[in-house]
Amino acid sequence: MKLAQLLALPATLISAVLAIPEYSEHLHLRPLPNGYLYAGFNFTASTSLSAYESQHFRYFPRSLGQILQHSDTRELHLRFALGRWDDESWGSRPRDGKREGGTGVEIWSWLDSGGGKPAVEERWSSLVNSLSGLFCASLNFIDGTKTTRPVLSFEPEGTHRGGGNGMELLHGTLPHEVVCTENLTPFLKLLPCKGKAGISSLLDGHKVFDANWQTMSIDVRPICGLGGDCRLEIQQTVDIVLDIKRSMRPRNDPIPRPRPVEELECDESKSYHASDTCYPKRKEGEMAWSLSKIFGTPVRGSCHVADGDESHDISLEVSPDRAVEVSHGGSNDTLASHEQNQLVRTMRLPDSARQHTDISLPQHIFQDSPHQNRPTLYASRQITGCGQERGGMHTVLHNPHTHQQRIVYLESLPWFLRPYMHTLKVLTHPTNSHDRPTIPLKPDQMYYTPALDRKRGTHLELLLTIPAQSTVELTYDFDKAILRYTEYPPDANRGFDVAPAIIRVLPSTHNTHNTSTAGNEIGQDSYFRTTSLLLPLPTPDFSMPYNVIILTSTVIALGFGSIFNLLVRRFVLAEEVPRSAVAVRVAGVLGKVRGVVGSLKGRLRGGGQGRGGGGVAVGVNGVAAEGDGGMNGVSSVVESRKER
Amino acid sequence: MDPTLGDDGGDLSDADGAGLRAPGIAKPTPPTEALRTLLTRRTIVLSFWIIVLCLGLPHWLWTTSTYRASLPLSTMNDWAEGKACDLRFAYPIRLRTPGWARERIVELGGNLSALLGHDGPGGLLDFTIHPGDSDEEPLPPPRENVALTVVLHAADPPGTHEVTSHLEPGESILHLGSGITEAGQIADQIREITVPQQEALAYVLSGTPFAATEYEALRATRQTWTETSLDARNNRTFKPSTTYHLSFSLFVARNEPSAWAIEDALAAYVAPLVDALSSLSNFTITTQVQLHASFSPSIAGPTFDEASGEWKLRREDLSGFVNAAEWPLSPSIGEGSTINFVLYVPAAEYSPLVVADTGGTVWLVPQWGGVAILNLDGPSTPLKATKATDRTTLSATDLDEVMLTFADQLTSLIGLPSTPSGSLALRIAALQRERATALLLSTASTLGALSRLVHKLPNIPIPDTVATSVATSLRHIDLACQDLRAGRYSKTDSNLGALGNAQAASEASEKAFFEPSMVGQVYFPDEHKVAVYVPLLGPMGVPLVLAGVKESLSLYRSIRQKVKGT
Repeated sequence: MKLAQLLALPATLISAVLAIPEYSEHLHLRPLPNGYLYAGFNFTASTSLSAYESQHFRYFPRSLGQILQHSDTRELHLRFALGRWDDESWGSRPRDGKREGGTGVEIWSWLDSGGGKPAVEERWSSLVNSLSGLFCASLNFIDGTKTTRPVLSFEPEGTHRGGGNGMELLHGTLPHEVVCTENLTPFLKLLPCKGKAGISSLLDGHKVFDANWQTMSIDVRPICGLGGDCRLEIQQTVDIVLDIKRSMRPRNDPIPRPRPVEELECDESKSYHASDTCYPKRKEGEMAWSLSKIFGTPVRGSCHVADGDESHDISLEVSPDRAVEVSHGGSNDTLASHEQNQLVRTMRLPDSARQHTDISLPQHIFQDSPHQNRPTLYASRQITGCGQERGGMHTVLHNPHTHQQRIVYLESLPWFLRPYMHTLKVLTHPTNSHDRPTIPLKPDQMYYTPALDRKRGTHLELLLTIPAQSTVELTYDFDKAILRYTEYPPDANRGFDVAPAIIRVLPSTHNTHNTSTAGNEIGQDSYFRTTSLLLPLPTPDFSMPYNVIILTSTVIALGFGSIFNLLVRRFVLAEEVPRSAVAVRVAGVLGKVRGVVGSLKGRLRGGGQGRGGGGVAVGVNGVAAEGDGGMNGVSSVVESRKER
Repeated sequence: MDPTLGDDGGDLSDADGAGLRAPGIAKPTPPTEALRTLLTRRTIVLSFWIIVLCLGLPHWLWTTSTYRASLPLSTMNDWAEGKACDLRFAYPIRLRTPGWARERIVELGGNLSALLGHDGPGGLLDFTIHPGDSDEEPLPPPRENVALTVVLHAADPPGTHEVTSHLEPGESILHLGSGITEAGQIADQIREITVPQQEALAYVLSGTPFAATEYEALRATRQTWTETSLDARNNRTFKPSTTYHLSFSLFVARNEPSAWAIEDALAAYVAPLVDALSSLSNFTITTQVQLHASFSPSIAGPTFDEASGEWKLRREDLSGFVNAAEWPLSPSIGEGSTINFVLYVPAAEYSPLVVADTGGTVWLVPQWGGVAILNLDGPSTPLKATKATDRTTLSATDLDEVMLTFADQLTSLIGLPSTPSGSLALRIAALQRERATALLLSTASTLGALSRLVHKLPNIPIPDTVATSVATSLRHIDLACQDLRAGRYSKTDSNLGALGNAQAASEASEKAFFEPSMVGQVYFPDEHKVAVYVPLLGPMGVPLVLAGVKESLSLYRSIRQKVKGT
């Protein structure tokens, strides 16, 4: 019974709405090709809506609950992500990409729309500001320019009274944000066991942020049962892909350094293989690993805190012929495959709070490379063009399946990237034959909100149908705006981040194609995100304003000075120029100095021999020379006046 | 030596220059200028200067000036110096004597008034006696602004309550036994209630410009223990605020118990108190449960005492007991302060946990909240282990004692005076008076500080919002002062009352003082201005000044010559 419940784990999100325990947690492990390991943590807590409204919190975190109440948030989705999921070798994304975010921070939420637009914006700003404090992230920088209101891309996950009327969706991204330990710590604090017991004890900042791909998510949504009793559910997930070898490097030597040549595994069949040339061999197997070695610690105790939570804590997806050992405290055990699904092994942590649990797998050589689900779609996006004035966007979407797919393509661009929609081209061609002419593809629907400088970013949403086994290219041109002096960040020459495009693959309506190997099930849509982009903008020299001020001032002063002098000066012959009193006085003083110097010189010459005398003489000469220079200066001034 | 040196000696040294000069080269002098050209040049220089001074300078000043709304600075200073309001507190007393003749009541009222008024100007309270109608029975709702109603039961048959007095808990009514009929006795009874109030008010006023010398005299007569107790109360108390967020948290060292019957417990012990206090502030209540709460690493942790079989927590560790870094006790969102109440359930192996010296399990953290340790019986006790849910849930009866303690801590955290212990209504009324006074004082000092700031920093801008806030604040503080003198302490439909007005005044004054656009401009550096102005004004100013100086000198010389010549 329990096992059956677990097996349908991805589907339990929807099916097990009725009998959800107040808290449950789950860890899913799946080795990936080339020595990677996927670990997906899932923590789900819920509270009854009445308790939430009267502010009695048990497993639902109080700090988050108060923020949601204060900002009238109906449903919240928050993502922190880092790295890139390698579609080509790792296959389809975990949880259909639904618990995944674009690089940096992404947030979307449905807010109560009462009070009109200003009230909603007020709530949104209060929400992002409070969350910013709670998660130590720069969410407070999500202002009007980084907020969009997507139409097609997202749908509420929860059940809402009034069928979703009276609420408004807002979406914001921060692609520049670097997700790190300071975001994980508050994330763990929201959990009932706070990373001290149960599977959350594996989550350590050093390991999580050393991963090749990492995404943390928080989803809050109301769920109503058939009887009308509503609960508010918070689902927190952490999905990471770890390099097994890298994570298992010894603790006393944590610095990654190149391995000596003798230890490298080279593909000796290559023609250029030599003692100093090595082409790394593709890994055919998987090295031995254990939880405690990869995460640095075994699972400490368990976090079975809710009544009626009988589900399994850990599931492992490995081939049936692998031996899996589990050690509880001192005793060792072998984890057998599940009766119904040979690929999955499940276990429940012992209730004792003190026991440590560890799972270890021996080294394994694959007979055939493990089967990976093909992703629904491949997507990539680049900036094209050169120069600092304009550029272009180029997105490639590739449908590997034998049936057509409907997708929603969402881009939220910053205001300083100004796209030209008349240049938007969507072209398609079958993947296999490159020589065939490309056929223009008409978007089924298009939503476009143009940008307003410094007020609003561009929002572009396209509903496309991608034909079977073909590639769609989407291109448009854009201009790069010139920012104001104060709008540049301190590292202006790095470039500006452009948020990833979000692609929603709509559930397939063609039942005939459901038997295909596509990862998505009927009625389930999946999400993809491209990588974020770096946009170089024209960057000024930041001393510019002062240079401009000084240059302008000098020009004005020059003009003014010459006109003024022309007006008030008297013009006389050069010989008639009277000697000014100051010049006469200076000349008198200089004459006296010269006289003194001359007499000194005479004296030194008279009795001056030896070192000391020479030294002094040099000094005196120096003074004399200076005097000469000064005199020359005066005389030259006089001469130049004469020339006039 | 150098031929150029003596080439021309100028007009000044004509005599010795002539000796040095090479013969034959006569220094030519420029022709004398026509008066007309001289005049034109002077007019040009003058007009340049006129343009600079009359057009350029005002324009520059106008474009670079900061906007400063006008503030009523003298009124603000008056408040800060305590001149604007003579703080007195009306204390109307209503006298009810069922069964007495009208004349006798009036006479008693007169005597009483004389006796209480005899306290003289030293007292802060202004007593007025309103003899009530004797035949009204039962007590009608107290007429507006009655601080205390005294009911004499002299006409009752002499019974057990001969000379005793008692207070009605929920209302400000003093019942006097049948033995008390003399005005002196009644005055003593009333004084017993009002003297702590007077002392508390004098304490609030002490050290401020509002404290007149006569209050200082009163202060001197006060016993030192009163002062220390008032000090302690003041240190503990939260800042007056319109809203308090009460946060009740259950922290558990392990993962059991993970639930508590907090709703029932709150309804039984905290809700009635909060209802009664609602005339002072608004209260919101949140609760949370947190498992796996560990001690802060900064404290030594409990030690096991063999003799008593208890785990002892050292007294020094109490201040660091609340693990601020890990326990999620963030303040609630929104205006107002958060009062935390923490119930800690130690792990079974550290149980029972008590404070070392006293053996107590409860303590109060000033201006933060209260902490209580709840030692559960071991799981072996048959009472507790009957059902699984009993282990995981704390029942309302488990929480009885703790909730009573928390309620008590709440009263001291918001500063409710402990006397008169018989009547909550009187204590709340007393706190209302103190709060209104404290808020009034803080508003006055904020206004004074703002006035000084505006005076000290001449280049900060003052937006209109500040002026509006100051005006609002002044209006409300004035009303608050009048309300205090008239005895309108509580909020009514038509009036905010002294406390409401003082709160409004305080909020407005804080808003004015902490106006962000004022703060940002204070640090605009002068170096920036220099960098901008020097390249422009330097090259333009130098020829202008030199020409001005030269022309004025020549003008001066020509005038002098003219004077000499004539």
